[in-house]
Amino acid sequence: MSEPDTQAGLTGREKLDRYLALLGPMAMIAALLLMMLVLEPTRYFRVSNFDIILKDAALYMPMAMAMTLVITTRGIDLSIGSVAALTAIIMGYMVKSYGFPWWVAVTLAISLGALCGLINGLIITKLRVPDLIGTLAMDLVYRGFALVLAKGVVLSRFPEEIVAIGRGAIPGFIPVPVVIGLTTLIVGYVIYTRTKLGRYAIAIGSNPEAAELTGVPVNRYKVYVYVLMGSMAGLAGVMLAGKLNAIQATSAPFFNLHVIAAVVVGGTSLFGGRGSIVGSLAGVLLLAMMINALVTLRIEFFWQSVASGVVIISSVAFYTWLQMKDRDGQGGFMHALKTPENRHLARFALIVATIILGLCVLGWLFAGETSAVR
Amino acid sequence: MTETSAPLVAMRGITKRFGGVTALEAVDLDLHAGEVLAIVGDNGAGKSTLIKILTGVLRPTAGSMLLEGQELTMNSHSDAIEHGIDAVYQTLALADHLTPAANMFLGSELTKKLLGLEILDNKRMRSEAERTLRERLGVTLRSMDVPTDSLSGGQRQAIAIARAVYHSDLKVLVMDEPTAALGPRETSRTLKLIETVRDQGLGVIVISHSLDDVFAISDRIQIMRRGRRAGVVKTTESDIASVLGMMVGAASDQAA
Repeated sequence: MSEPDTQAGLTGREKLDRYLALLGPMAMIAALLLMMLVLEPTRYFRVSNFDIILKDAALYMPMAMAMTLVITTRGIDLSIGSVAALTAIIMGYMVKSYGFPWWVAVTLAISLGALCGLINGLIITKLRVPDLIGTLAMDLVYRGFALVLAKGVVLSRFPEEIVAIGRGAIPGFIPVPVVIGLTTLIVGYVIYTRTKLGRYAIAIGSNPEAAELTGVPVNRYKVYVYVLMGSMAGLAGVMLAGKLNAIQATSAPFFNLHVIAAVVVGGTSLFGGRGSIVGSLAGVLLLAMMINALVTLRIEFFWQSVASGVVIISSVAFYTWLQMKDRDGQGGFMHALKTPENRHLARFALIVATIILGLCVLGWLFAGETSAVR
Repeated sequence: MTETSAPLVAMRGITKRFGGVTALEAVDLDLHAGEVLAIVGDNGAGKSTLIKILTGVLRPTAGSMLLEGQELTMNSHSDAIEHGIDAVYQTLALADHLTPAANMFLGSELTKKLLGLEILDNKRMRSEAERTLRERLGVTLRSMDVPTDSLSGGQRQAIAIARAVYHSDLKVLVMDEPTAALGPRETSRTLKLIETVRDQGLGVIVISHSLDDVFAISDRIQIMRRGRRAGVVKTTESDIASVLGMMVGAASDQAA
């Protein structure tokens, strides 16, 4: 939200604050590049590989843009993976079973995503269900609808225009999904810094009571933000279907975690009021590069989920630590162990560890016949 | 300010009941242009209810209000703002992450058209905010581009006041506990802000628990007690002891 300015009177800390959102992911990207330079330079640093990274990142750009706004309002949307799967499946049926033209089906998918977002927003603002529970429950509902519609069927072989949206390239070099992703981010940047939607999102996340008192239609703008989120999830569904040239009800299981991770890494505060679209772009790139690195290093796919989780925790902890006004009296790890409160916790952790260890020893002592797990 | 000139605001016989509870009983209030009227009283004396009625948040059960001699009926706080009556709350209602200008224009942003779309005019809001702070309140911020929570208590107060004086043709400003959360230095700055606004011809109502501040800033003091007006004194002709006496009922109990 910060604008370029040249006025004197900013402290060094404040100047730094403006670039914090970029500094975090940039440092991590640099560390990652350095690591890959040592471990696997030849296969990682190839134009074709960066093409893959960009296309992977592009899929998450529209959702990261909208999620930045959602989280800025102190909200969260845990239903986007299901929304993407559901809208993509409906689009698939419209194209394949009903012969809809591709552009109608694509627009329909985005509109249906917006509808899902509208439902989420109304559940949160009108039924007063907390966003975490509301969108988590709707995640089940949308996923359920997707399963009901598609059963176990994999819809594949879409019209070439839809495939182009997911993995095509403009003659030359730029992949179409990257163009779409960057466009949504630019639009998102304008929304964030130059429109009432962005301004009110910050105000709502910063101080909901103040926003209400000064005449901001808080609930209406919350709904708008969720509608934007839903429509971007719908767009991501289209892009995913095109990228894979296939879609099924269980597609996109990790969208929620991945997008939230990217946004949080990019410096958007889960406590509301502070966010950065540029930071989210950096976050999306970082995550795509990280996952690509895991693949390049031939680490099992399932570790991706672990890595995403660790990235979320470490960035939130890092930004929270940065936000602390007073860091005096922190004498490091060993010093922290000496406070009575923490000693209780340490003892408790020790007990848990002892129980687990004891059970393992017991199991080993009384072990019977073994059989292979499949 | 003279007692004989017509008051800017005249509240007459204001009564407010919540169910069976009477919060206000036939309360009068006069506020003149260019004066600071302090309202003091114990908790539950009816101060907040009275100003909520004046600012359109609550409607009186009985009684009438005149603004510049005209009958005044309001159904909401925005009606009050339209009539030039606004309040600055104790919490200031500022969004900490937004810049001073964004806060000043929150809910009524200046916009411009760009390709048919409504776009925020950040540049104009910034310069208008800077000008309002400087010309109306004599305040120059260290920077207009920092989040509001990095500013001092007095500067935050100034932004909240600037928001009120910028919009509409403000005639009456109500300040609810303006110095409650401030240190001595910021308190004196805030009192100076109130003086500045008063000297521009506005009627200012200050609700405060701090009698020191009340005596430092006000021209008259209205004492509330158990939902009634226990008395009105000229600040220069009174002292803390006698106002305290009226607040706790030493004087009026004799009359009762």
